[in-house]
Amino acid sequence: MSFDATYARELPLVESKASFREIDDAIIKPTEEKPRKGWWVAFGISFTALMIGAYCLGLTFYYGIGMWGNNQPVSWAFGIINFVFWIGIGHAGTLISAILHLFRQKWRTGIARFAEAMTIFAVMTAGIFPVIHTGRPWLAGYLLPLPNQNGVWVNFISPLLWDVFAVSTYFTISFLFWSLGLIPDIATMRDKAKNGVKKTIYKVLALGWSGSNRSWSNYERAYLILAGISTPLVLSVHSIVSFDFAVSVIPGWHTTIFPPYFVAGAIFSGFGMVSTILIIVRKVFGMEHIITVNHLEKMNKILLATGMMVGYAYSMEFFIAWYSGNTFEMFVFINRAMGPYAWSYWTMITCNVILPQLFWFKKIRRNIPITFVLVIFVNVGMWFERFVIIITSLHRDFLPASWAMFYPSLVDLGLLLGSFGFFFTFLLLFLKFLPLVSIAELKAVVEGAQPTIHPHPNGSNGKH
Amino acid sequence: MEYQKKPLPSKVGTTGFALLGAGIVLIILAFAVNPHRAFFDYLWMYMFLVSIGVGSLALVALEYLAGATWSTPFRRISEFLASIIPLLVILVIPLIIGMHDIFHWTHKEMLETDPLLRSKEPYLNENFFYFRTGFVLLIWLIFFYLFISNSQKQDISKDPLLTKKNIRFSTIFAILFIVTITITAIDWMMSLEYHWFSTMFGVYYFAGTLLSSFAAATFCAVMLNENGYLDKRIGNNNYYSFGTLMFAFNIFWAYIGFSQYMLIWYADIPEETFWIMMRMKGSWTYFSVGLVILHFVIPFILLMPRSAKVSPKLLKIMAVWILAVHFYDLYWMIMPTYFKDGFEFGWSELGFMMFAVGLIITVFRIRANKVNMIPVGDPKLEAGLKFHLN
Repeated sequence: MSFDATYARELPLVESKASFREIDDAIIKPTEEKPRKGWWVAFGISFTALMIGAYCLGLTFYYGIGMWGNNQPVSWAFGIINFVFWIGIGHAGTLISAILHLFRQKWRTGIARFAEAMTIFAVMTAGIFPVIHTGRPWLAGYLLPLPNQNGVWVNFISPLLWDVFAVSTYFTISFLFWSLGLIPDIATMRDKAKNGVKKTIYKVLALGWSGSNRSWSNYERAYLILAGISTPLVLSVHSIVSFDFAVSVIPGWHTTIFPPYFVAGAIFSGFGMVSTILIIVRKVFGMEHIITVNHLEKMNKILLATGMMVGYAYSMEFFIAWYSGNTFEMFVFINRAMGPYAWSYWTMITCNVILPQLFWFKKIRRNIPITFVLVIFVNVGMWFERFVIIITSLHRDFLPASWAMFYPSLVDLGLLLGSFGFFFTFLLLFLKFLPLVSIAELKAVVEGAQPTIHPHPNGSNGKH
Repeated sequence: MEYQKKPLPSKVGTTGFALLGAGIVLIILAFAVNPHRAFFDYLWMYMFLVSIGVGSLALVALEYLAGATWSTPFRRISEFLASIIPLLVILVIPLIIGMHDIFHWTHKEMLETDPLLRSKEPYLNENFFYFRTGFVLLIWLIFFYLFISNSQKQDISKDPLLTKKNIRFSTIFAILFIVTITITAIDWMMSLEYHWFSTMFGVYYFAGTLLSSFAAATFCAVMLNENGYLDKRIGNNNYYSFGTLMFAFNIFWAYIGFSQYMLIWYADIPEETFWIMMRMKGSWTYFSVGLVILHFVIPFILLMPRSAKVSPKLLKIMAVWILAVHFYDLYWMIMPTYFKDGFEFGWSELGFMMFAVGLIITVFRIRANKVNMIPVGDPKLEAGLKFHLN
């Protein structure tokens, strides 16, 4: 909650007292008018990146993953880095929509829909990588424990299998959550649509929503239940991703703090990405009164907090590596900070721990250009965090004779670019066809929308 | 708002004194009969008092930081409980005396034969240990006085600027709290088995402190409110937050505990697993299984329904339950170093528990009779009293 200077009154979540009609118009406008030039440019770039990625994916399929820079001992590289990076990005959505909903943080309203959509696209992007990393993605069906004539069965004690369960559950629930929230809004769009085809499509998607008391009552119950189900998923998905590393006996991977450290990092990177895109979107679509500076400031506070958490984890790892007295463990950490990949380690520390400290200052938290620069650094830093964890732990393992450096191939870089293209192509389509802020929820938090049961002593809206 | 200050009934004081007195007698006996065991019990009790005292201060800071309003009417409760902090400075002295009984690494001759200990010596040496202990206590003391004095000044001046000041201090304390609680966990508990290490250990203890101090606040809040010491507007809406957060903190504890255990079990490296093996020896197996059931499963099931979260009766029971299992958890962390073949619980342990509980009650009563039970000058109070769900 934000308060005014006397801490007695909450600040409104939506600036300017908008009428319901104005809200409908403001949010639906981008979906109604013909896409602007800027949208086409953005779409063109994203789609080109997607095509480059598709080409590299084709090469990978045809020639195999030998096209990548992976070698021995660095047998996990860009594929897994990108997987963990994108899964992490996908965490902000569920945190905002589920946990903040359960904790009654009303400010989530302005950003929840958008973050949820991002979650879904990010998880889709992430899912590609482990599948192609298997080398024979056309056999991916065997990842599921389905009885088959070959008697091939999954390895239940492998965290890689738990990933299959965790990520697919996460995707399913996030998708349900997101589409449930969309129903009332799609109904609004259906009612506003004039053109026949468009109206029919929205009509089908709105599932006959009538806006009756009964519909709302069922809707809110379902929303609460899904929020409850999603909450453990925020923790479980990235915990299990961290298990991929931490259950091993590789120095630098096997450390008990990994699960909460990964979850904090995921939320950190997710909020970084949400902020990055929101700052552009609110400007382009003229939604500065709906996605306000207060929203961005709160997100910056979360970034600061989660950035400190990953900072804590970095220092604990370093300290315990020394404290344990284990030579291998110590070597890995010294190698991270001073070895051939030291540049990536210090990039990670600078972007994730040092730069976010600027968010201590209110002026900076509320300064949009600076925030934009800082969140870009967060995105970069979190990609490098996975790079550091994966590459530096592997490239110099127990046997100095087998040490090697990892250099990404062009196909690796093309796939990384392609993953951004994939993500942004979906995101731009979402911005064009669906309301990016929940219209129904927003109407409930505008000034004057609340029933005035007790008149407020300070003469405001009676909200308590 | 109108607030009439009432002193707590005399039976609170009597109970506190009775427990405290009985505790002191048993503690003296314990030291006379078996000082080695008594020192371990003492450490166990000290860690519990740290959990409640410092955890409560962290809750105060958390309220300022999060801008929460629902908890403002109850903030004084955590402030009273945090008043244990000044006593920690005195209570730590017997532990310093018993260093050699408790911590094996303090034995100089161990350095000769143990290369691992030698490598840790820059951290695990007595001088640096005392320095850290002093530093940690100093930080707790400073922030205790800052928060409490600003909060009490506000009762008279009603100045919102004091809230602003405390928010500033909270940001600093939030970081220092995590650092100090980690140091405390490593120094006083992890170093009992100085070969063992876990990056999660600080977080594990942190989860326990937050949960137990929150449970203590819940118990006091419900008791005081039921007996009309707070405000009659406080009801289900505020209770619900207590229930939810107790539920959430407990899950967080379980998540941290599970992750730590699972990763050690799975990797199966002897230098880490021995710590778990110690807790699987003889009757400790049952104790460890009991920890999972008593600390996680039962509260998880009982606190899950919405109705449970607003039931004052159940909240009281669960709060006491969680305080008890925090004792249990600390016992699990500390005592296997002393009771190597199986756990024991006798009058000595009981005495230390009685002392801890008696001390908390007494401190609470003294503070509660001196200071307003609700922060009457807090600008967020009105919003907190009128707090509604949804």
